[in-house]
Amino acid sequence: MSEKNIIQITDLTKVYGDGVKIKALDNVNMTIGRGEFMAIVGPSGSGKSTLLNMIGILDTPTSGTITLDGVDITKASEKERSKMRNQKLGFIFQYHHLLPDFNAVENVMMPLLINGIKPTNARAKAHTMLKEVGLGERINHKPRQLSGGENQRVAIARALANSPEIVIGDELTGNLDSKTSEKIYELLRKLNREHNQTFILVTHDEQMAEKTERIIGLVDGKITEDKST
Amino acid sequence: MSLARALESRNQVIFSVYELFIAIRHLRSRRRQTILSILGIGLAVMILMVSQASMVGFTEELYKKTVDNMPHVTVEPKSDEDYIYLYRSLAYDIREIEGVTGASPVLSGQATFAYKDTSRNVLMQGILVKEHNTVLHTEKDITEGSFRDLEVTHKSVILGDSLSEKLDVKVGDTLDATFPEAKPTTLKVVGIYDSGTPQDETLAYVPLSTAQHFFDNSNVANSILVRVEDPDYAQPIADEIDAVGYQASSWMETNPEILQMIMIEGLSNFIILGMIIVIASFSMVSTLFMVVMEKTKEIGMLMAMGVPRRSILTIFLLEGGIMGLIGPVVGVLAGIVVSLYLGSITMDIGEEAYGGVSTFPFVVRTKDAVMIVIFTFLLNLVAGIFPARRASRLDPVEAISSE
Ligand SMILES: Nc1ncnc2c1ncn2[C@@H]1O[C@H](COP(=O)(O)OP(=O)(O)OP(=O)(O)O)[C@@H](O)[C@H]1O
Ligand SMILES: [Mg+2]
Repeated sequence: MSEKNIIQITDLTKVYGDGVKIKALDNVNMTIGRGEFMAIVGPSGSGKSTLLNMIGILDTPTSGTITLDGVDITKASEKERSKMRNQKLGFIFQYHHLLPDFNAVENVMMPLLINGIKPTNARAKAHTMLKEVGLGERINHKPRQLSGGENQRVAIARALANSPEIVIGDELTGNLDSKTSEKIYELLRKLNREHNQTFILVTHDEQMAEKTERIIGLVDGKITEDKST
Repeated sequence: MSLARALESRNQVIFSVYELFIAIRHLRSRRRQTILSILGIGLAVMILMVSQASMVGFTEELYKKTVDNMPHVTVEPKSDEDYIYLYRSLAYDIREIEGVTGASPVLSGQATFAYKDTSRNVLMQGILVKEHNTVLHTEKDITEGSFRDLEVTHKSVILGDSLSEKLDVKVGDTLDATFPEAKPTTLKVVGIYDSGTPQDETLAYVPLSTAQHFFDNSNVANSILVRVEDPDYAQPIADEIDAVGYQASSWMETNPEILQMIMIEGLSNFIILGMIIVIASFSMVSTLFMVVMEKTKEIGMLMAMGVPRRSILTIFLLEGGIMGLIGPVVGVLAGIVVSLYLGSITMDIGEEAYGGVSTFPFVVRTKDAVMIVIFTFLLNLVAGIFPARRASRLDPVEAISSE
C-alpha cells in the first residue's frame, strides 16, 4: 500500500437483515489518497451512508477489509476503534447532532477532552476552530439559540477539532438552503486546502458534487463510476 | 494492593474529566427530574435515619432499664457441687478478666420475715456491699437509710419498698427471720430501696456473713454476679468462666427476650425501610432509563466522536452515583434534624412497653449516618448499572439515526 493512500477498501460487502437479505454494499474496492476532496453520489438506498459508516468505523462490514492510515480497522479492538474515531476521523451529519446541553465552544471542545487534552487548552483550540468556521462571536450559545447553518458550522468545527486526517460528511448540507450550502462547501474546500485533510462527502446535489475533485457513483451497492474532475 | 494502585496499574482513573462534565450537564439539563429523584431517595433515607435513631434510642433505654440493672454474667457452682467454695479467689480471678468491671459473690435463699403479726416469704441475698455496688449499683436505689450500714451493722437488712409496706416496717425496726433448717435470727432494717421492679416485693439484702450464718454454711456463696464494661460482650466472658468449670451464663442466656425484642424490632424496621429505599432507587433508575432514551442520538454522536463504550457506561454510572450520593447525604442530614427535633419532645409510649420503657430519646449515631449513606449509595450505584449498560450497548449508527 502506498504512503499517499489513506484509505484502502478491499472486497467490502455489507449485508443487512436476517431473513430477507439486503446487500447494501456489494464487493466494493477503492483507494482514497491523502488530502483528496471527493464526493459519493447515487440514488437513495444505493449504499452511500453504509459505505461512509464503514469508513467512519461506526459499522462493521460483513466481509472485506478497510485499512485506514495503514491500520486494518476490521481487525482492530473496540478500544483502538474508538481511539481512531476520536483522532483520525471527523464526522458531519445531515443534522448537526450537537450536544444540546452544551454551548458551541463546549461542543467543539468535546473531541479534544475525549482525546485527553486539558480543558484550558481544549477551550483555546475550540475557540480557534470556531473562528476558522466564521463563528468566533457566538461561542457561548447553545445549539437551540443558533440557526441551522450556524449549528452546522459548529459541527464542522467539532469534526475538525482533533485535526483528523479524514473528514466524512453525510449530506451535511441537506438541511440548508442553497446559498448557505454553497458557503459551507467553500469553507470545507478552504479547510481541505489549508490542512490537507481528506474529505469524503455524500451528496444528492449534483452541482455540489461537481465542485469536488473526484466523484464516485454508487448504484445498488456497487461502484458504477469513479471520475476525477 | 490498594484500589488506587490497582487502577493506576491499569493506567486508568475512576473517571475522566469529560465523563464527569457530561454527567453533570445531563443532570443539570433535566433539573426537575434530577431534583425529584434526589428528593425521593433523600426522603426514604430521612425516614430510615429517623427510624434508626429511634431504634437506637429505644434500645439504649431498654438496656438502661433492664440490662444495666441485671448482672451481665451469673456464675454458679460447678455442676457436681452445690456451692462455690472458693468464692473469694474466684471473684478475684474474674475481676482480672479483661472487660470485667465488677464481681460480687452472693449467697441467697428463701427466708420468712416476720414483724409483729405479719410475715412474708422473701429471697434473702447475702452480699458484700462494696463488691455488690460495683455490679448492680443498688446504692442509687436506696430511698431511706443507708446501703453502707449493711456493712457496718451486723445482722442488718435492706428491704424493697413494697416489702417494707407489706410488713409495715421502717428503718430502725427489727424483724425476725426464720426458715426450716435455718438458724432463726433477728435483722435490723437499715435501709429501704426502690428499684421500680417486681423484686421490690421479694428481695432483701443482708450482709454475706449474716446469710452464711443463717443458712448455716460459712465460707460459701451460691453465685457470683459479674458486671462487664460492654454488655454486648458478656457472652465471651461467660464462656471464658465456663471453661474453668463453673456454670456461667450471660444476660443474653438468662433474659433472651430482651435481645429477641431488639432483633424483631430491628428486623421489621430494616425490611420495611429497606423496601422504601429500594423503591426510591427504582424511581431513580427509571429516570436514568428515560435519560438514556432521550439521549440516544447524543450517545450515538459521542460514540462517533470516539467515546468508548466503557466511558458511556461510566457517564451514566456517574449520573446514578451523583444522585445516589446527594440523595442519602441530604436525607441523612434531614433525618438528623428531624430526630433531634423529635428527641426534644418527650414521647410517651405507654406503660405496657417492655421493661418499663415509657419514654425514649432519639439517638443519632455517626456510625448509622455513615452506614446509611454508604448503603444507599452502593445500592443506587448497582441499580444504575442497568440503564448505564443499556446506554453503552447502543449501536452508534442506529442511535444517531434514531428519532
Ligand atoms: N440497519 C439497517 N437494516 C437493514 N437495512 C438497512 C439498514 N441500513 C441500511 N439498510 C439498507 O441498505 C441499503 C443502503 O442504505 P443506505 O442508507 O446506505 O443508502 P443511502 O445511499 O445512504 O440512501 P439515502 O440517499 O436515502 O440516504 C438500503 O436498501 C437500506 O434500506
Ligand atoms: Mg444516506
